[in-house]
Amino acid sequence: MKKVLTPFLSFALVSSLFLAACNDDQSSSSGSNSDADKNVSVVLKTTSSPYWKYVEAGAKKAGEDLGINVTIVGPSAESEVIQQVNMLEDQISQSPDAILISPTQPDTVIPALERAAKDIPVVLIDSDATFNGKTTFIGTENFSAGQEGGKQLANMLQKGDKVVLISGALGNPATDERIKGAKAALEEAGMVIVSEQPADSDKTKAMSVMENILEKDQDIKGVFSANDDMALGVLRAVQAKNLDIKIFGTDGTEEAVKSILDNGLTGTVAQNPYNMGYQGVETAVKAISGESIDSRIDSGITIITKENAQEHLDFLKSISK
Amino acid sequence: MSELIETLKVEKKEQGWKKLLSKFGSLLALIILMAVLTMTTDKFLTVSNLMNIARQSSINALLAIGMLLPILTAGIDLSVGSILAVSIMVMGIVSVNMQMGAVAGIAVCLLIGAGFGLLNGLLLTKLRLPHPFISTLGTMNIARGIALIITAAAPIAGFPYLVQFLGSEFVGPIPVSFLLVIAVYIIFHIFLTRTQTGRYIYAIGGNKEAARLSGINVDRVLIIVYTISGFMAALAGLVMVGRVNSAFPLAGLSYELDAIAAVIIGGASFFGGVGTVWGTLIGALIIAVLRNGLNLLNVSADFQMTVIGVVIIAAVFVDVLRQRKSKAN
Repeated sequence: MKKVLTPFLSFALVSSLFLAACNDDQSSSSGSNSDADKNVSVVLKTTSSPYWKYVEAGAKKAGEDLGINVTIVGPSAESEVIQQVNMLEDQISQSPDAILISPTQPDTVIPALERAAKDIPVVLIDSDATFNGKTTFIGTENFSAGQEGGKQLANMLQKGDKVVLISGALGNPATDERIKGAKAALEEAGMVIVSEQPADSDKTKAMSVMENILEKDQDIKGVFSANDDMALGVLRAVQAKNLDIKIFGTDGTEEAVKSILDNGLTGTVAQNPYNMGYQGVETAVKAISGESIDSRIDSGITIITKENAQEHLDFLKSISK
Repeated sequence: MSELIETLKVEKKEQGWKKLLSKFGSLLALIILMAVLTMTTDKFLTVSNLMNIARQSSINALLAIGMLLPILTAGIDLSVGSILAVSIMVMGIVSVNMQMGAVAGIAVCLLIGAGFGLLNGLLLTKLRLPHPFISTLGTMNIARGIALIITAAAPIAGFPYLVQFLGSEFVGPIPVSFLLVIAVYIIFHIFLTRTQTGRYIYAIGGNKEAARLSGINVDRVLIIVYTISGFMAALAGLVMVGRVNSAFPLAGLSYELDAIAAVIIGGASFFGGVGTVWGTLIGALIIAVLRNGLNLLNVSADFQMTVIGVVIIAAVFVDVLRQRKSKAN
């Protein structure tokens, strides 16, 4: 009898101690911010990937600069959609002064956000959702991001050069817009787009797509890809054939920036996840105090090429600490 | 002879005691957990938060009660998360894309769930695949694949009200989804304790060969068990769609593991034959309370996984001790 009961009791005891310890942590951190009277809850797609660590770092910094309490939560993987909804509900039940959220599946958070938006500002970052009462959406203007990337690529080529566009999964609005922007800029500069193919934002898939394209036509001079992973896949296919092709990606991941430094990729259109987090919290605070907010805020982009790649890499490293 | 009967009686009594204690043990763990959370956060013991937990636990509670049946027969059903996904995607196609209405959508959803469950049962009993781990691992991949193929991986939103009712409505402060859970658990309790098939399920888990020799149609019972498990996955999917007003093909990814965890934490034995409906409910509640409490304490998701892992191991450790003890007897 004792033997059956003991593990349960010891488990309960251990978890109690553990929870008590967690609580100590929390009370000491909120103790140092005791002047703060505003609480902003930030719900991310996940807290376990580099991109979202940058968003987290920006949101945290804004909280420190503005002297408010920022709580950042997110599931351990982007696939945990319902867990994100649970976390959102748990945050709402703690009655924060504003919510900042980046929904993994926009439809899934709408019921909860519609209810919350009746009482408090709701700011979306990175990925938008459409519902009544939304304060604003802060994210990359994908069309102009693609346009800027296209312009940069065109500057490095001659009029009449052949270029290829690698898009994301069909129907993904973010990557589609980037490709549209790049296409417009490249055509305007007189480039000839010989192929536009989807590679589902996947490195391996992009590599085989590019291999197939090169089978038919080795006279390609430039490639624009809707994300960095695909650009890196394209790069492998190009390097295997020993060709000199300028390749531009989008996102500004650490791997892509490192590749630029190693003479791999030509450049990338870096999104600004740190800014999304920072501006997000800043905007939420403005909304709490009743200031009027634009319904769409561009978090901006940075073109990364060899000249500023080291600088950008140092920045990424400094914020991911 | 009378001496033997006497010892048997005593042993039976003691076993009853032990059963009570293991049930009581997980309930005790839940109560202590809730007490600690009440003391450490001021938001835990509020009506709105408790109702959050009730809502959040309902999907896993429905999957877990379905999962209890295969586990009672010393089996397992790894396909429930994928069956959930394929059922709700088909429901989306029927009631949203094809505009055929809520009732048709719900009916198709539940039928698809039961159908995949039936397939699991047939694979196990008619194809004689060696273990349900294998047959349900296969259907897990098949169902997930179909869920992705039929909508080209796109989510479906904008379901009719009737579809959303179970997952989104409240009676007073109480979520309808939790009332559904209570109703389903009562039905399962009656099914497992008061019907012949229910008792056969325990008998098969206790000793499959003995059950077969005593004239139980083991294959038939196993087919029923897996069909019900698939049906419950579809029902859980229906609740999920109502909760988030959308169906997406990656829904329910790895939910089978949470369901198994709830059943095991609730005191069921992986060796079959041991486990109760109410224990499973407590298991599902412990997981939901832990997740909710860790969220309220702002513990990071990665750390939460670690804690849940420790809880599963602790619970199974109890199962091991129980086995060892009964073998010693």
